[in-house]
Amino acid sequence: MKKLVQLNVNGDTHELAVNPDETLLGVLRNHLDLIGPKRGCDSGGCGCCTVHVDGKAVYSCMMYAVSAQDKNVVTIEGLGQNNDQGNGNGRELDPLQQAFIDAGAVQCGYCTCGVIMAAKELLDTVKNPDEDEIRHAIAGNLCRCTGYQKIVDAIKLAAAAV
Amino acid sequence: MTLSIIGKSVPRPDARDKVTGGKGYPVNVRLPGMLHAKMLRSPYPHARILRIDTRAAEQLPGVKAVLTPADCPQRKYTTVYFVPTDAASMVRDMLVMSDTVRYAGQPVAAVAATSIEIAEQALELIEVEYEELPFVFDPEEAMQPGAPQLHEHAEHNIAVNPVMEFGDLEAGFAAADHVFEGVYETQRVHTCYMEPRVCVVDADGNGNFVVHSSMQHLFGLREKLAYVLGIPESRVRVIKPPYIGGGFGGKLDIGYIEPIAALLSVRANRPVRIEQTRYEDFISTARHPIKVYLKTGITKDGVFTARYAKSILDTGAHATHGAEVINVHGAFGFLLTYRCEHRKWEGYSVYTNNMVGGGYRGYGSPQACFAVESQIDEICDELNLDPIEFRRKNAHQPGDPHPFVQGMHLDTYAFDECLTRGAERIGYAQRTPANTDAGHIKRGVGFACQPLWVSGCLGFPDIYEHSGAIIKLNVDGTADLSTAAMDLGSGQITTLCQIAAEALGLPMEAVRITETADTTTVPFDAPSHASRVTYSAGNAVLAAANVAKERMLKVAGIMLEADAGDLEARDGRITVKGSPDISIAIADVVRRAESPFIQVTEDGPGPTTVEEKGTIIGLSSTAPAGNPSPASVGFVEVTVDTETGEVRVERAVYAHDLGKVINPNGAEGQVEGGFQQAIGYALMENLQFDENSGACLTGDFLDYKMPTAVEMPRSIESIFIESNEPTGPYGAKSLSEPCITVPAPAIANAIFNATGVRIRDLPITPEKILVALGKLPSE
Amino acid sequence: MTLPDLSDYFVPTQESELIDLLGRFGERAMIVAGGTFVHGLEARGLLSEVEALIDIGRLGLGGISQDAAGVTLGATTTLAELRRADFVQTDPAFGALQDALDYPPVQIRNVGTVGGCLAASAPLYDVPAALFALDGTACVRGAGGARDIPLNEFFVGLFENALRTDEFIAAVTLPKPAARTASAFLKLETNANDLAIINVAVRITLGENGRCADSRVVIGGGVGECYVRAGSAEAALEGGKAGGELFATAAAAVAHDIEPVTDQRGSEAYRRHMAIVYTRRALERALGRMVTGGTNG
Repeated sequence: MKKLVQLNVNGDTHELAVNPDETLLGVLRNHLDLIGPKRGCDSGGCGCCTVHVDGKAVYSCMMYAVSAQDKNVVTIEGLGQNNDQGNGNGRELDPLQQAFIDAGAVQCGYCTCGVIMAAKELLDTVKNPDEDEIRHAIAGNLCRCTGYQKIVDAIKLAAAAV
Repeated sequence: MTLSIIGKSVPRPDARDKVTGGKGYPVNVRLPGMLHAKMLRSPYPHARILRIDTRAAEQLPGVKAVLTPADCPQRKYTTVYFVPTDAASMVRDMLVMSDTVRYAGQPVAAVAATSIEIAEQALELIEVEYEELPFVFDPEEAMQPGAPQLHEHAEHNIAVNPVMEFGDLEAGFAAADHVFEGVYETQRVHTCYMEPRVCVVDADGNGNFVVHSSMQHLFGLREKLAYVLGIPESRVRVIKPPYIGGGFGGKLDIGYIEPIAALLSVRANRPVRIEQTRYEDFISTARHPIKVYLKTGITKDGVFTARYAKSILDTGAHATHGAEVINVHGAFGFLLTYRCEHRKWEGYSVYTNNMVGGGYRGYGSPQACFAVESQIDEICDELNLDPIEFRRKNAHQPGDPHPFVQGMHLDTYAFDECLTRGAERIGYAQRTPANTDAGHIKRGVGFACQPLWVSGCLGFPDIYEHSGAIIKLNVDGTADLSTAAMDLGSGQITTLCQIAAEALGLPMEAVRITETADTTTVPFDAPSHASRVTYSAGNAVLAAANVAKERMLKVAGIMLEADAGDLEARDGRITVKGSPDISIAIADVVRRAESPFIQVTEDGPGPTTVEEKGTIIGLSSTAPAGNPSPASVGFVEVTVDTETGEVRVERAVYAHDLGKVINPNGAEGQVEGGFQQAIGYALMENLQFDENSGACLTGDFLDYKMPTAVEMPRSIESIFIESNEPTGPYGAKSLSEPCITVPAPAIANAIFNATGVRIRDLPITPEKILVALGKLPSE
Repeated sequence: MTLPDLSDYFVPTQESELIDLLGRFGERAMIVAGGTFVHGLEARGLLSEVEALIDIGRLGLGGISQDAAGVTLGATTTLAELRRADFVQTDPAFGALQDALDYPPVQIRNVGTVGGCLAASAPLYDVPAALFALDGTACVRGAGGARDIPLNEFFVGLFENALRTDEFIAAVTLPKPAARTASAFLKLETNANDLAIINVAVRITLGENGRCADSRVVIGGGVGECYVRAGSAEAALEGGKAGGELFATAAAAVAHDIEPVTDQRGSEAYRRHMAIVYTRRALERALGRMVTGGTNG
């Protein structure tokens, strides 16, 4: 039996009929075409699916979509400011997104959106996080390309910019 | 000439897209009418299928096609992308689906349906009757008489058995003052690319296939799929994804998914998508476990007189990469590493009822390097020799004949400088003997070398090694670069764009990789593997850029009334050498070449010449001029808690002769990422299987452990040594693979330096250290 | 991965509704709080018979309160909320909770709940060991009314607890700690996002004379059917002079209380050895907290 669910995602409200065991990740990717959250393991092990629910980083693969009813979901697509100057660069990036580019923290990029969402909560709650705080804040996210060093650099860079 | 773009940490062109969602991954591909397929996998490690009943599955609403072994072509193939399928050196023992199961997890049926859920339900309805057969998981047992035979063609389950010999081994041992013997073992690990293996195949009903896949080789997939299906290659069009979510060698072979999706697509007459679960990925590819028996003769002052090794590689149910990994392991991991007149190596790639191995960064060398570099330190410790001097004394020297590639020499070879500068940076000379520290935390320093490696595969039998590129200039002064070289994440796009921009005198942001390449539109390229892309594909891009540039300068010469040979391109302008005031924008040159023959301007009609007319374009398809060797040395500092056996890598220093750094930030990223994979290999990663059923026990990231940001050293320092390789683009040779090869033995050597404990099998778990320290009983 | 037998997802807003649903579906119902445990089981194909998921997020079961008797943690209090509680941040007696709450990654802390991790009864989890060592009690409600189950009696086996099928955890209470009490928790893990190979939660209360007046030693991970209370270690601590020698003796005694398993994460001998080392280190960590008076030891 499908369940009707009202989801607020990146500021837009969507009414959807979903299977009760459908995950938030599945709904974001398959119903709403939001590709930022990614499926890497389906069991809370890799962090590629990390999004914010009511401002908190969660594994969207471990949350039933129906339980996100009435909550505010933000994916990487919801970061940054809309700032259309008519020049094609419609969206101003979040400082973290910019820092990931500047620090060379992106390689294959499959983990990137999830890592940024985890780091985003850290920077929302801690002013000037030290190296250990940064590393623990992204301990729920795996990266196979970067060795995390430039990711940590990027988060430091963004913390300084915020 | 000073360089404007080469050597600069320009940002990646694909980074913005990736931090805002990442549109380019194959996992995002959706086609109208697309079906979803799932594979039914055998629960037994060795069995014969007696009967498959799919009737109930076919009746399930939403099921559009079902596939069993009887529906699949029974033409045997090898999966490996970088060789022609009929290459003599490879073993053709694979089938898309077989009625003999040789490992737990082998696909035995597949269903395409309108949703994944329906496909999964349909799998539950398929009845398979198996006759279980005796199985063997240990390769040395598999080689014994009486062991279960996995393939008719392979006596004693030996898939391939290469032997290489130089000089007179017995004479070498006779000349030795000391002979050392040791056995070193490595485990099965996964590349852990983050994007799962996924494909969408669309059969058009006229015998043509369009294929999207997360893979490392466009043309390899085309050739393999055509071979499997028994159709001409031109019937298969493989679409190049803008990038994939990691590969590291793990996507260097055709999977089950592409042929199965193709066959289902034909039956259903609709596009079919298969996305693997993480569990399926874990049993799809792995670095092969290799057991190495080493015997080494040396003089009293530490010069090799004889080196012998026997390597037993567990290739699993099929030979695939195991037929080639064993050779790279033996040659580049063991035989060629140091000077020694008398050498012999025997390799055995052995079938077992384990999962099939695959490609993984380093490709056989990490297993050998662990053995060789551990043993050298053991020798030095025993004979009180300096480990740095030992390696220096036995090393190849610049100018030596290349020990593998006929007719070439080690023209650029800064191994010595790697040793010197790395040792200096980490403070190797200041290290203290084992157990110097009071208390239970012991500190140690160690290092290991990959003295010789490759920049591609020139000189290797049966392996493709050519690349191509198309560069087309636009009237706005930009250039589009098309190539079949795949970006796995390691920055191939960036590097190739930098090379093109530098050559054409364009700013970095003016060069774009086209996102529309496929096997019908771009020249052949060998895979992204063997540390080859910067060197080989880079050379092809440079060649294409030079063709375009020649044409561009010719037009500019006409416009500037100067000889093309006197012009130079830089920062988007073309200038007469020595006369900086006489210049013209590249955009204007391209506009002129692309303009109508007679263009009417405010000044009236202005005719151009026929010589100026036409798109400024360059094309190349070329093999590189050589296969220059990089050299590398990795140092680590560790602490070992002798109460718990816990090892922390506190600091890493990595020195590498890469010829020329194209992008320093990107190059550091390669090293840092290599250490993540290698620290996992050294200390924790291990694919484990139930000893009775063969089921994978480490099929998700809660059980398969790899380092998070917390376990990684706070500092990984890269020292890049620029020896300026004359055959490389702007002097570059390769980087990627040695980064993952040297850390494990360096860590083992550092653990010994800390504690006096020598572990000869990976991973070096806390438990093994506690056993070695005598704090736990050995098994 | 799906739940093939799932028929519905319920979001009750009254406890009576929840109790009715539990009565109706019995063992074929699964309560969802944070959902991480449910998804963990689902991903491993262990929930194939579940017909009803019951989301208890709208029952108002969250919140933390404190009174003279101790603290009450609403069942749906998230681990992150608990970590921010003042007493967790500052009171050495609750140090074990602080330690345990720091282990899970933020994505789990933000959704995982106090009640959920207890109901899971999976000794690979960390926070329950700490709650156990702090003499927590599960406040349970069901068709038969309300009852309190001390955690000492709550954990029955792997994934098994003393809850009847019609019962749910409404809250957990922790008694007000005696003066001169401190606790600590340590987990053996391979990386920072791991299930416990073993974990240890300890609490010690010292008398006026500096001797150990009361203690709890709880060990989890693969050392028994579920969490194990190490009575031999507690007995060894009783009346002893707190410090390295006593702690070493007490730690060695845990070997009598545990029956470690061998699996791909570690052997029986390794787990036994590490249970001893970590018990000693946890006791030292707790004592260190008592001396400094803070939890950041």
